[in-house]
Parts: sequence; C-alpha cells; structure tokens
Amino acid sequence: MILTPEQRALGRRNFMKALVGTPALATLGAASAKPEPVRGGPVRLGFIGVGGQGRALLGQVSPAFGEVKAMADINPASLAKADEILAQRKQPPARHYVEWKDMLEHEPIEAVVVAVPLWAHADVVVPCLEAGQHVLCEKMMAWDLDGCGRMKAAAIKANRVLEIGYQRNYSPIYESAYAGVIRQGLLGDVYHARLAWHRNGNWRRAGDPPSKDYDPSRWGYPDFEHLWNWRLYWKYSRGLFAELCSHQLNAAHWFLGTSAPTSVHATGGVHRYTDGREAHDHIYSMFEYPKGLTVTFSSIESSAFEQRYEAFFGTKGTLVMFNESEALLFDEGGTGAATGVDVSGTPGGAGVEASETKPAHNATAANAPARAAGEMDATRASATELEISAFCSAVRTGSPLKCGPDRAFDSARACIAACEAAKASTKLPV
Amino acid sequence: MTISRRALFTLDFDRPPASIDRLVRVHRTAMACRVEVALHECDARHVAAARDALDEADRVEALLTVFRESSELSRVNREGAAGAAGVDPEVFGLLQRCAQLYLDTDGAFDITSSPLSRCWGLLTREGRLPSTGEIEAARACIGMLHVDVDATTRSVRFGRDGMALNLNAFGKGYALDCMAATLRARGTDRALLSAGSSSVLAMGGAWPVDIRSPLSSRPRLARVRLAGAALGTSGAGEQFVIADGVRYGHVIDPRSGMPATGVLSASAVAADAATADALSTAFLIGGPALARCYCESHRGTMALLALDGCDFGPLVFGAHPGATVEN
Repeated sequence: MILTPEQRALGRRNFMKALVGTPALATLGAASAKPEPVRGGPVRLGFIGVGGQGRALLGQVSPAFGEVKAMADINPASLAKADEILAQRKQPPARHYVEWKDMLEHEPIEAVVVAVPLWAHADVVVPCLEAGQHVLCEKMMAWDLDGCGRMKAAAIKANRVLEIGYQRNYSPIYESAYAGVIRQGLLGDVYHARLAWHRNGNWRRAGDPPSKDYDPSRWGYPDFEHLWNWRLYWKYSRGLFAELCSHQLNAAHWFLGTSAPTSVHATGGVHRYTDGREAHDHIYSMFEYPKGLTVTFSSIESSAFEQRYEAFFGTKGTLVMFNESEALLFDEGGTGAATGVDVSGTPGGAGVEASETKPAHNATAANAPARAAGEMDATRASATELEISAFCSAVRTGSPLKCGPDRAFDSARACIAACEAAKASTKLPV
Repeated sequence: MTISRRALFTLDFDRPPASIDRLVRVHRTAMACRVEVALHECDARHVAAARDALDEADRVEALLTVFRESSELSRVNREGAAGAAGVDPEVFGLLQRCAQLYLDTDGAFDITSSPLSRCWGLLTREGRLPSTGEIEAARACIGMLHVDVDATTRSVRFGRDGMALNLNAFGKGYALDCMAATLRARGTDRALLSAGSSSVLAMGGAWPVDIRSPLSSRPRLARVRLAGAALGTSGAGEQFVIADGVRYGHVIDPRSGMPATGVLSASAVAADAATADALSTAFLIGGPALARCYCESHRGTMALLALDGCDFGPLVFGAHPGATVEN
C-alpha cells in the first residue's frame, strides 16, 4: 500500500506487543484473565500433519482448552520436531502414528487438527467426521468443489464441528476493526476492496528426506520433492490463491458481509522462479460480486514493497488492515485527517505512559510501543491460540464458530475458480 | 457468521488470557503530537465516537494554535497589540482561567511567556543560548499581569509592546476536556484520553497510568490509578538546549527568564486536563514550595515531583479523590 510519509509514519508507530504486559484491565471492569479448568476437561486432540503449519498450530494449544494426545505424520522428521514443540511448552509427549487412520482407531481423542497438503483435506476430514471426530482443518477448505461439498455434508450428517482455520477471524485487531469501524458504518458504502500479499523471495523450501530410502509414493507423491514442496504443484495445490488469497478473501467476505463472488478474472504465471514448478509466482485477479462490489487481489514474489494488506474503500472512509497488525482509518473528504485504530497491549500494565510532551515526529513518542522484531509472529500466534481455544470451546459447549463450512466454502469456491482462471488467463463464473 | 467472543467463552470457559490486556487505541496527529482515545477492547463500538472526539481536538487546535494565522488566538494576538480585542466567548473563558492560574501560581504559569521561549529558540525547536540582553528584552514584554482581561466587554488589551498569548499545554489539556465532553455526549463514559504523553484524562474507573521516570535507574516514577481525573506532566529530560557544555531544559521560568531547574519531572492531578497541564508546568518551575502551597490551598489537587539529584520516589503533595499513587 503506497502511503504518504506522514501516513506511513502513522502506521509505523503503531501496533502492539500483544502478549506483553500484565492484565491491567481486570481492574477496569473486564472479566478476570485467569483461565479456569474446562468443565469436562481439556478437549483430547489428535494432530494429523505436523509439518510447518501443523507445528505452528501445535505450539498454540492452550492446556486449559486442549490436550494433545497423539500425532500422525508420514514424515518421521516432522514428528520429531513436533515432540520438541511439546517439550518446549512443558506438555506431555504425544503418541506417534504414521497413518492417521490408526490414530483414530487407537486413541481416545475427541477432535483432530488437520494440517495436511490441500489435496488431501477432504479425504482426511470426511472419514474423521464420519468417525465422530470434531475437526479443525487448516485453510483452504479443500482442493476442489467436490471435496468442499463432501466435507460440508459429512459435518452436517455427523453433527460435528468443522472449522476451517483462518486466524484473521480470531485476531483482536480484526475483531475490533469489525466492531468499531465496519459495524458502525464508518466506511459508508463499499464498492471496492483491494487485497495484496506481496513478497520478495522463493517459495520453494529446501529440505532433505528423513532417510535415504524414504519413499512417499504410497501416499501419492512420486518423490520427496513433491511432498516437501507440494504447494508448487497443481496436483496438490491451488498455489497462491489457496495459500494467501483465501486468507484475505475470507476476511473480506466477513467485513463486507458477502458470500462468494459471481465471477473472477485472473491471470498469472511462473515468471521469476522457472525451476520446474507449476504454481504461479505472480498472480493478479478481480472478483466480482452482486451490487457492484469488486475485490482485487494480487500476489507477487518479486517485490515486498507493498507487503500485505486488505483495503476497504468506502463512500465515507477507507479502512486499511496492514500486515495483520494495524488498522488505519482514513476519512473520505471532511478534514482529511487520518485516524489510526490499533489494538494494543498495555505497556507494563499501564494504559498510558505519561511523561513530558512528546512531539508527533518523535518515533518513540507514541503511547503505543514501537513494534519489535518478530512481534508480528506474536500477534498471529495470539490469534491462532484464540482460534484453537474457540474450537475446543465449540466442541465442549456447542458455541458457534467463525468459519464453518458455509463461509469457508465461499472463499474456497472463489479461490478455486480464480486458480483455474489464472491458468487460462480468462474470466470464469464462480 | 459473526459472533462475539462473549458468546464463545461464557459457558464453560474463561476468556483466554491473551484477549484481555488490550486497548483499542484511536488516534490522530494533532497539536503536533499524538492524540489518542483508548477504549476497552469490549468498547470497540465507540470508535466512531472516538473519531468525533478527535475531530474536536482538531477544532480546538484550529481555535487556539499560534502557528496558524487563521486561529482565534492569532487574531487576538494581532488585534490585542493595537488595542482592545474582542474575543470569542469560548476563548475568553480560557483566558480568564489562565489569568487566575497565573495569580494562583505566583506567576509560574504564564501564557504570555512566548517571547522568552522564542529567544531561547524553543518555539522552532532550534534551541540556543540567548544573551542577557535578549533575555531582558523578552522579559520586558511578558507578564499576564499586564494583560487586561475585561469581562464587561469580553476583550483583552496588551499593556506592553510585543506581548502575545500562547496557551501551550493548557490548550492541549483543554482539547482533552472537550474530547471528553464529546464522548459523553455520544454515550461513551469510559475511555483514557491522552495527548503527547504529557496530558492524560481518565473517563470512568481506575485506569493505570505510569509516570515515566526521568532517571534511567528507575523503570517508572510512579503508577497512578486515575478515575474521573486528569494528569499533566512536565519535564525537561527530553527537550533541552546544550550550550557551552551546559544543559538547559525547555521550560523557561517567566519570572527569571532562565530555564527551570531543580525538578526533573512534575505531574499534577486535577479534575480537568487543562488545569492539570497548567499546574504541571507551574510546579516544574515553582518546585516543591509552590506545589505544597498550591495543593494545601486548592483541595482536590495532587502533585508528584521528582527532584534533581534525588534517586527515590516522587514527592507527593495533596490528594485527589480520583487518583491513587503506587510506586
């Protein structure tokens, strides 16, 4: 997002040490912060797939809400790394399985967290639901519409929780922006939203097989490269549309109160990293919705200048959700004054740190602490923890979730169509 | 489908710990600093009211700034030099309050001291050491005592050549007071307002506010829990002039023409932010003697002072029913 230096400064100063500080608001009328043991105990969880994303989820399971009993993965190296996560968090070790079906058969688990390559989502999730498991499945919902449909039908038939994991749904800053800006009508009518996720680097991951004779072919991967870099091959992946766009489109649907688009134009290609991969490294798309709403999305792997944001342009104001860490609100007309909206920790437990006057141009002047290196990770980790806790809550209490089959289906449907449109560089109905 | 977190966690779960120690901060640059309305996370619905409050800060700035020719105060400064200048009722009320504060603080708070700040280069943040002659020349055109604030004609007249009014921190505090009124009118009765870290106004109950220590050896000077009260802070730790190896703070004592010394940080708690800001400036200049005297004669005022060379907690004078001090 190209902002003026002043606007950029406004944004730069903001956000938050999300997990820093003491629970000062307990004295301000908020509920106690101390988590209590869950009635019925923590939900007994099994993890299916503990690669990078699975381990990211594993590291955010709050013991008050979930207890990881077992883990299944076809890569033993991933299981070993997952053990380290549990040990670091001082949680009991979980039993290992290669085949997730064996885990379901032998473990007294109530719910599974699924983080396997996209193409396998439906074939894993549907049997889990049929076996009575509740399921938290990593995004995107499934590789194709048939898979999405089967997952939704299975959840309904089994009367089990099925949540698709998009951490923005549980991010405090998104919740606050929705409650404080969107629901208050501060944007007026929104006809256009722009989504961007721009990076400068190679998506290909370097890695070695767990052993010289490791053969993943019985799971559908001709070699370790196709398992390790499954996101680069169309058989397993929907490329950047599934991995990045679906996050932002899902949030846009939430904010804009809309379901799936009616059509999508898209183009893209492998322009920079011509190393045998199939999934595009540059994509550009335009989603059309009823009532004149158009949402554009681009993702490039050759410049990180614009970073990532969701911008909602309304007749009264513009809201920019920047890097998942700050919300910026700009008036349309009027004074033209830029209003920042952050959700921030309370530094040291205080609402404000008072001192002599701090001029606005002083980078250290803001009440909100400057962002420290790696702080974004803490922010996202917090949202993921809330997501998993909410899932466990839903399992125990039946409380509603934020991205069940219907909403997840909408964003998946759009991204699947966009992927096909980009391959053909054309417009397709959704 | 959207649901509130309350719906998620009230049945069998407490809210996760990560969710409760946050504030929604709605902010804007105004009056050359960050002006902020901090709301409880659960009060995010008041963001619109907070934005209206920030508009009010812009309005007050446009009214009182001396950095724009178009402001009411700039007009008063132009016309007051030539004769009696009629004043907008809102601004006139502020000038009356400032005149009273001048008397109550023995001249330590003086909104006519701009010529002094100018000769020290502080108005443009380009500090310099003026000559004795320059200081005396500046002193010759200051002193609220020499401003005729006439309530019958709602006008002011400057009694000395070269005089000008500049509300400084008082204006910033007043902006917070107006913002609070806007928030209350919009149904928001719980928020923590601040401007540039030096002006803080707590609406509703017990907001913890830390006063930064001017000494690096201490994490904070004190924590004050504010409820329906305002806190102003002045100091000379970060804005100063160095000349010939001597460090001069940016707050000038209008009575001597020299930078205030002896107090590193002065905070004042009062019912409104404008008064709190004026008093923090006055206490930085007048030191413990003025702070003690003022707080004894004005109930509901509290002062917290950190003295130069004293590495212990703040000196506390007076009390305010909406302020509790923790070290």
